[in-house]
Amino acid sequence: MKKHMIIIFLIFICLIFFWQSKLFSQRVGITIEKGVAAISVATPKPIFKTKKDIAIKTGNYIYGVFKDDLRFSLVFSLVPEGFTSYIRPLNPKQIFFKDWESIGAKILVVTEVNEDTDDNIIYSITVYDVKTSKMIFGKKYRGKIKSGRLIAHKAADEMMINFGEKPVFSSKIVFVSSRDGNKEIYMMDYDGNNQTRLTKNRYIDILPAISPDKKKIAYTSYRSGKPDLYIQYLYEGILKKISTGGVNYGAKWSCDGKYLVYTSSKSGNAEIYIADSNGSNSQKVTFSRWVDSSPDLSPSNNEIALTSDRTGSPQIYVINRDGTNIRRITFEGTYNDSPAWSPDGENLLFVSRIEGRFDIYKYNFRAQTYSKLTNRGRNENPSWSPDGRHIVFSSTINGTPQIYIMDYKGTRRIRLTYKGKNTMPYWSK
Amino acid sequence: MKKVLSFFLIVFIAVFFYSCKKNKIKTIPKPKKQETKIEKVQEEVPKLKVEKLSEEEIFNKKSIEELNKEQVLKIVFFDFDKANIRDDMIPVIEENADWLKKHPTVKILIEGHCDERGTVEYNLALGEKRAKAVKEYLISSGVSPGIITIISYGKSKPLDPAHNEAAWSKNRRAELKIIEK
Repeated sequence: MKKHMIIIFLIFICLIFFWQSKLFSQRVGITIEKGVAAISVATPKPIFKTKKDIAIKTGNYIYGVFKDDLRFSLVFSLVPEGFTSYIRPLNPKQIFFKDWESIGAKILVVTEVNEDTDDNIIYSITVYDVKTSKMIFGKKYRGKIKSGRLIAHKAADEMMINFGEKPVFSSKIVFVSSRDGNKEIYMMDYDGNNQTRLTKNRYIDILPAISPDKKKIAYTSYRSGKPDLYIQYLYEGILKKISTGGVNYGAKWSCDGKYLVYTSSKSGNAEIYIADSNGSNSQKVTFSRWVDSSPDLSPSNNEIALTSDRTGSPQIYVINRDGTNIRRITFEGTYNDSPAWSPDGENLLFVSRIEGRFDIYKYNFRAQTYSKLTNRGRNENPSWSPDGRHIVFSSTINGTPQIYIMDYKGTRRIRLTYKGKNTMPYWSK
Repeated sequence: MKKVLSFFLIVFIAVFFYSCKKNKIKTIPKPKKQETKIEKVQEEVPKLKVEKLSEEEIFNKKSIEELNKEQVLKIVFFDFDKANIRDDMIPVIEENADWLKKHPTVKILIEGHCDERGTVEYNLALGEKRAKAVKEYLISSGVSPGIITIISYGKSKPLDPAHNEAAWSKNRRAELKIIEK
C-alpha cells in the first residue's frame, strides 16, 4: 500500500514537472489538414548541352516558369535549392538516388537543354521516382523563347497528369475588361500572363465562358439590341448567335464541353435551358413562374445548380437535369447567386450579399457546411480552376474591380489584372 | 424830280459799292473741328409668335429620338431588390398608358434596369422582372400587348454612376422607349 502511494506521489511530481516544462507550455506549429501532403520534388538546375547564349537564356526562362508552376500547384512542393549542395552533383548518366532521398526528395526532375536550329531549343524533362530509382516519364519540347511559358506550362501539366491530377497550367481565364474604353472580352493564362483581347466592338459583351478545349467562348452580347448568346470560335474567327426570342444570358460549359446551360426568357419568364455545345437541341429544365437563373452543370452532367427567387429572394438550388427533384442549398441571407460547382462535385461556390457586402462562400455537399472565403471588398463571379484547388474571382479589395485567384480555402490571394476595370472571370475547365 | 432820282441812284450805288467792299473784307471762318458721331445700330428682332402645338402635332412633327429624349413616356422607379409597382408610380404608368392609348401606332421597348447592389446575372433577371411588371400594368390599363417588347440591362446602364442611395434610387427603373410610331 505504501509502495503504491509512493509511486502515485512520484507520478504526481513528474506531472507537475512536465506541466511546468516547455514541453507542455509550448505551442507546436503543426496543423493537420485533410488531404494528401504535397509531393516533394527536386528540380536541380538544367544541364545545358549547348553554349549558345539564346539557348541558355531560353532554357533558364522555361525552368523558372516550370518551378513557379509547381510551387503554385498545391500538389508539389519543391526541395530547397540549397539542399543540393549537400549531395554529389547530378550526373544524368549515373544518378545517386540515395543522395536525393537524403534531402527529402520523392520525385526527381532532370532537365536537359539542347540547342536546335534557328534559336529553337529542345527542352527535355525526365522524371524519376527516387525511392524505386525508376523513371516515371520523359517529355521533350521544341520551341523558341517566345513560347517558353507555354513549354513550361505543358511540362508542369504533364507532371500533374502523371500524378493523377487535372492539367491546370495551360488553362485559360476569360474575363471582361474596360481597359480600352468599352466592355470587351479578354483571355489570359492562369498566372495573369498573355492578356489577349478577344472582342472589339461597341456593344456590351458580358459573362464570357471558355470551353474546356479552349477553342471557343460563349458570351452574352447586346449587339442585336437585346441580350443574346453567342459562340465565338477563337481560331476560325466565326461568331454564331445561338439564342432566339426573349432575353438570354449567362452560358456556361459542362466540364466535358458537351453541353451549355444558360438562362432564357423566350417562354416569357427566366428559365434554365440546356443545349448541345453548338447551341442546338436546347431543352427547358425549369418550369416555374419565378426567376430561375445562373445555371451551372455538375461535373457528372446530371444536376444543375441555379438561382431562383421562388421564396421571394434569390437563393441557390440544385435540380436534376430533367427538371425534377429541386432542393434548396442556401438558407442564410436574402441574396445568394452565382453558383459554381467544383470539378470533383463536392463543393459549390456562391456569392452572398449580407448588409450590402458581397462575399464568396463555399458549400460542402457531404458535410452540409458553409465556409466564407473572402472578407474585404466586393467579391463576385467565382469560378474553379480545372483541378478544383484554386478559385478565380473579381474583387474590389484594392479599389477598382480586378481579377484575383485564391486557393480553395480562401488563402494565398494573387492579383492578376491592373489595367481598367476587370470583372466576370471564368476559368476553363 | 430827276435830281431826287439821281440822288437816290447815287446813294443806292454808294450803298451797293460799300456793301460790296465790306463783303470782300469779310474773312472766311475757320471750319470747326467736326466730331464723328457714333451711330447706334440695333436691328430690331421681330417677335416670335409662339403657338403651342397640340399634342397630336408634337407627335407628328417629332422624330422617335426627339420623343424619347423629351421623355413623353415617363420613367418608372422601383424599390431596392423589388420588381413590384410602387404606389407612387401608379399615376406615372397610368399617364404612360393614356398616352399610348392615344397613339395606337406606337410600339415601345421597356428597358429594365437595376442598381449596382446585385450580381450580374440576377440583376439581369431582376431588370427583366421590372420591365415585365410595367408591361403587365400597361396591359391591364388597356394598352395592347402586341406593341410592347421588353429587355433587361441589369446594372450595366446606370442613370447615375455614383455609389450612394440617391444614385441607386435613380438607377432602379424601367424606361419606356418608343421604337416605332
